[in-house]
Amino acid sequence: MLSRTHLKTGMQSLRGAKWRNFWTMFGVIVGVASVISAVSIGEGIKMQIGSQISHLGKNVITIRPSRIHGKNAAGNLSILAGTSITGSLSPDDVEKVQKVSGVETAVPLSATIGGVVGEHGSYQDGLVIGTSPDFADLVGQSVDYGSFLSADDMGQYTAVLGQHAADVMFNEGIPLGHTFMYKGKEFIVRGILSEFKTAPLSQDANFNDAIFIPYDVSQDLTNKTAPTYEILAKPAQAKTIDATIARISGTLVKAHGGAQDVSVLRQDQTLANSSQILDLLTVLITGVAAISLLVGGIGIMNVMLVSVTERLHEIGIRKAIGATNRQILGQFMVEAVALTLGGGIIGVGVAYAIDGLLRVFTTLQPSIQWQIVVISVGVSLVVGVLFGTIPALKAARKDPIEALRSQ
Amino acid sequence: MALIELKDVSKLYGFGDATTLALDEVNLTIEKGEFVAVMGPSGCGKSTLMNIIGLLDRPSHGNYRLDTKDVSKLRPNRAAKVRRDIIGFIFQSFNLLPRLTVLENVALPLAYKGRAQSKRLKQASAMLERVGIQSREYFLPSQLSGGQAQCAAIARALVNNPKIIIADEPTGNLDSESSRLVMELLSEIHKTGNTILFVTHNPELTRYATRVVYMHDGSIIHDEKTAIGRVASTARKVLYSLPQTDEEDDLAGVSALMKALPSQTATRKRSSKKKPAKKRTAKGAKK
Ligand SMILES: Nc1ncnc2c1ncn2[C@@H]1O[C@H](COP(=O)(O)OP(=O)(O)OP(=O)(O)O)[C@@H](O)[C@H]1O
Ligand SMILES: [Mg+2]
Repeated sequence: MLSRTHLKTGMQSLRGAKWRNFWTMFGVIVGVASVISAVSIGEGIKMQIGSQISHLGKNVITIRPSRIHGKNAAGNLSILAGTSITGSLSPDDVEKVQKVSGVETAVPLSATIGGVVGEHGSYQDGLVIGTSPDFADLVGQSVDYGSFLSADDMGQYTAVLGQHAADVMFNEGIPLGHTFMYKGKEFIVRGILSEFKTAPLSQDANFNDAIFIPYDVSQDLTNKTAPTYEILAKPAQAKTIDATIARISGTLVKAHGGAQDVSVLRQDQTLANSSQILDLLTVLITGVAAISLLVGGIGIMNVMLVSVTERLHEIGIRKAIGATNRQILGQFMVEAVALTLGGGIIGVGVAYAIDGLLRVFTTLQPSIQWQIVVISVGVSLVVGVLFGTIPALKAARKDPIEALRSQ
Repeated sequence: MALIELKDVSKLYGFGDATTLALDEVNLTIEKGEFVAVMGPSGCGKSTLMNIIGLLDRPSHGNYRLDTKDVSKLRPNRAAKVRRDIIGFIFQSFNLLPRLTVLENVALPLAYKGRAQSKRLKQASAMLERVGIQSREYFLPSQLSGGQAQCAAIARALVNNPKIIIADEPTGNLDSESSRLVMELLSEIHKTGNTILFVTHNPELTRYATRVVYMHDGSIIHDEKTAIGRVASTARKVLYSLPQTDEEDDLAGVSALMKALPSQTATRKRSSKKKPAKKRTAKGAKK
């Protein structure tokens, strides 16, 4: 039904009013751009978290206060898990986990906040993490300068800085041997870590902002009140990781008097948690964006209806010289589809522009996948067909004489 | 066999009290090769008749055979194809599509026939050469003079090699010089074997016709064969008997026509060719 002639006549009619066409397409442009952006931001975050985890290594077991399960309602809100933790882990727990058979090393992470004064001034957001020397090895992180905490540093006021923390606290690029004040003590910088790959919305603390000090020092300074928010454990054998997890879980439940207030997860399970929230968010935003696409379609229908009325005379002429109803229908359908498809393609362009801007100005790394591009352009085409049909039918059914008479 | 055969064709507009009888049981037979002028006062149904013959409209009652086939109740899509293939329309207001070039306008009927683009443009170009405005191929209709625009419209009507050309007041918007040009062109087309029907208010133009049909109130009241090159005898009487009073044109036309009709003696009063010009201004004012 759609021949090249249809295409040409359709396009010819569009050639004239370019700006009007742009505003007609605007709804579709916004719709397509936001659908693609929403999905690709979600996709990008997932990939970032994924790479963070693969960086950490799949075989790291994460032990956190409060059970975070994908299936229960609380688990679905686990995006807040880092800030509102119920239950707690104690230094005793660390030792117990260490002793579970199948665990090679267990590394605690305790958090204390604030009060850091470096040479460059105070570091308000300073996140001071108490941990043990095995941390760097376990998460597979190397130091750019100096060295990580060693067994000899335990009990000493020494620290290793994340890259961002180092930048903020000191004027110099490599502040090895320099000191800063924390809770009235002077700490010596032993090393600077290389940059951690981080993911937005990740449940994990951003280690680039962190100051790492010996775990026992952090406990002493806070009278053992610094919460241990996480224990990372490495299984001796990757194959038996699930059995090891079960044993750790059992040990901790027993230690906590039967309370199931601790979750023991593999890294890929924490990913699953993040993905669920992200999927939910993505679906929500995509839904809103899809509605704007629909509204865009209605806008195009409206403009096409006006255009049919405006161009009655043209329709009359075309019919008089032999255009069939079907050919008129085809012409107006092509116009509607060209408008939505054009809007769709411009929308894809806008989405790529947004992607670029986000990459430059935020830590987000949206990932535009070809499938979503194809789908949204396809949907805009369908919208064109759907909403183009009514005006096109109206045009096609016009009585030629009546149409010719109108001016 | 006759090319066009209307039998008791009526056309009604509106409903109930507001019903207008635009055509009242018209019988008309037109043979291939005739060059028919249709005359009559405004509102007498000339355009309605043209539209029905041209399959733009359907008769309310009666029978219409075109090229021996009954087309009285043709479906819109079928009618469109018949229009496309055997009928060419020429309008008073040219009706070229303003956003297409002259060449594209002329090629349009071929597009609806499904011809390839290059072939279309070549044929259209040849047709423009035939009507003598090939040099204006790439102009937009708004850049043409009235005469040139009507020539382009004629080229468009001809491009599908139609059997019948229907021209509703083709010279209605043209000055006498352009009118002559357009009528000469139609004459030439007629010589190549086309059947042409045209509506006119200008009795002078009956000199191009082989037959003149007079209408009044939806009926054909007179029908005469005439020699090419001579103003039809009845029309001449109309021409010379128009009263000089500044009465409303149409009334003048009717009364003159009624007077001129057989067995009436007409007073010989010259009134020149003022009538079509006045007709034009009257129409323009109405719109
Ligand atoms: N769509 C319509 N609805 C109602 N009445 C109509 C319609 N079209 C035409 N008529 C009526 O039919 C009659 C014939 O009209 P038509 O257009 O055929 O006249 P005409 O002879 O072409 O006049 P003119 O010389 O002014 O062009 C007129 O009385 C007109 O009012
Ligand atoms: Mg008319």
